[in-house]
Amino acid sequence: MIESATFHVITTELVVGSFALAGLCFVLHSLKLIHNKESQFVTMMDSTAHIALLFGLLALPFAISSGISSSPSGAHTSPLLANKMLLSTAGGGLALGVLFSRWRMRTGDSPRHLHNAFGSTSTGCMLLTASLGGTYTRADSLTEFLPFVKETTFLLPEWMSIFVILLILGALIVRQTSSVKHG
Amino acid sequence: MKQKLVLLLALSLLVPLHVSGNPGGVGNSLENMQCGGACHGDANQNATSNLQLSLQPFGTVWAGQPTEITVQISGFDTSHDIDQIGIFLLSSTNANNDIPTTDGWSILSDGMGGSNNYIEYASIDSNVLTHSWILRADEVGEKTLYVSVHHGDNSGTDAGSPFFGVSQAFEITVEAIPENLQRIDPEYQPPTSREVGDATTLCLETIAASDVVIEWREPSGESYQVETSQNNGCWFAVLPSALSASTIEWRAILDGEGPQQTTPWFSLASSEPTWEADETALMLQSIAHLVLFFGLVLLVRKPKRSDDEFKDYMEDSL
Repeated sequence: MIESATFHVITTELVVGSFALAGLCFVLHSLKLIHNKESQFVTMMDSTAHIALLFGLLALPFAISSGISSSPSGAHTSPLLANKMLLSTAGGGLALGVLFSRWRMRTGDSPRHLHNAFGSTSTGCMLLTASLGGTYTRADSLTEFLPFVKETTFLLPEWMSIFVILLILGALIVRQTSSVKHG
Repeated sequence: MKQKLVLLLALSLLVPLHVSGNPGGVGNSLENMQCGGACHGDANQNATSNLQLSLQPFGTVWAGQPTEITVQISGFDTSHDIDQIGIFLLSSTNANNDIPTTDGWSILSDGMGGSNNYIEYASIDSNVLTHSWILRADEVGEKTLYVSVHHGDNSGTDAGSPFFGVSQAFEITVEAIPENLQRIDPEYQPPTSREVGDATTLCLETIAASDVVIEWREPSGESYQVETSQNNGCWFAVLPSALSASTIEWRAILDGEGPQQTTPWFSLASSEPTWEADETALMLQSIAHLVLFFGLVLLVRKPKRSDDEFKDYMEDSL
């Protein structure tokens, strides 16, 4: 039987690789848009970014669950692990939103800079999460210049988290049912 | 533009980064010899350590009783520049299933507040490094133990390489304990760690013991004796709390029908209270992050009015 830690390594490699590819394609897509060039390259970057993001997103639940089970005492016992969990869910939320809004775009529409920025930010969250993993297992990573993520976690009270969830869901429902049609 | 972009990407790959394996170590843990395929175990990358490794049990090894296994590593002279070393206690050199617990041993103490077969020293202060594990063999017979090391070295011809060394096999004979000899219960698990400020109540279960004295010593070596009281088959004793992060050692002296028996020194590490967050709050905030950022992407998009759809329909029809 494969150990949780080994499975976590495999799934995080998948997540990081896919998100890194997606992030690069989002950036290149925006660079091309700045030059206002319509070409096959733009379409290719758009498709590659979203497919890679989808693949990374599919692997993400396995990475999170195996990460939690491979930690001997749980994510809540280390600020670094807690930050990893919060960052990965933030990145996952962004990626899910980017994919959903891309899916809702009409045929012929092309994502613009803000959309690409969200996609790139989700990649940034995932790469930072992976880097924190390096700090946790090897006490060394490329983000050693961010010491606060090892020692501090901004944790909301339970009621505030529930309030945020309800607020966002409420806003989404109101917007969906309003007279204005949203893309 | 395209050429410049490709050139920029190619150059970014050539930027030299600070590359070193695990300069902070990987922490004390249960590890096989190759440490999960680490650089030190990779024959294509590693260099052979010339440190001298030896291993010695303290006294007779009885089945079911704690035994002190002392590892000695020598050769840290001026020709080496080693700042950190990882030491393994192994039952084989197969690189898998070679943790002593897979060969009928229990690791009662690693001497650093845990029960691991791999421990790390962050610095080396003398030419010889001595470290002790407390093991317990579960059956009579011949057993084999090895000691292995992983370290870096910033001097010599292989400076900067991941060094690897493994000792010869050391045979350990595990003997059956005489029937009426006073002893610790074979199931007893000594505490290995606690928080600063907490006293530790020992409940030592024994067999054939008429009296038990607990002795403990400070890191400086000064020792004290603690009175015990027997209740429900347990010999109770209280070890005083630590005022700062430190490691004390304790042992039991058992009297009975046979010659007086003394257990090995068990390490008890005191550390600062660990950080702990509310698990439910963390889970809820994770879900909140997922919903918040998902919603954020959808909510910041510019709304499109329904009459635009009509306009699009008309344009399409025309």
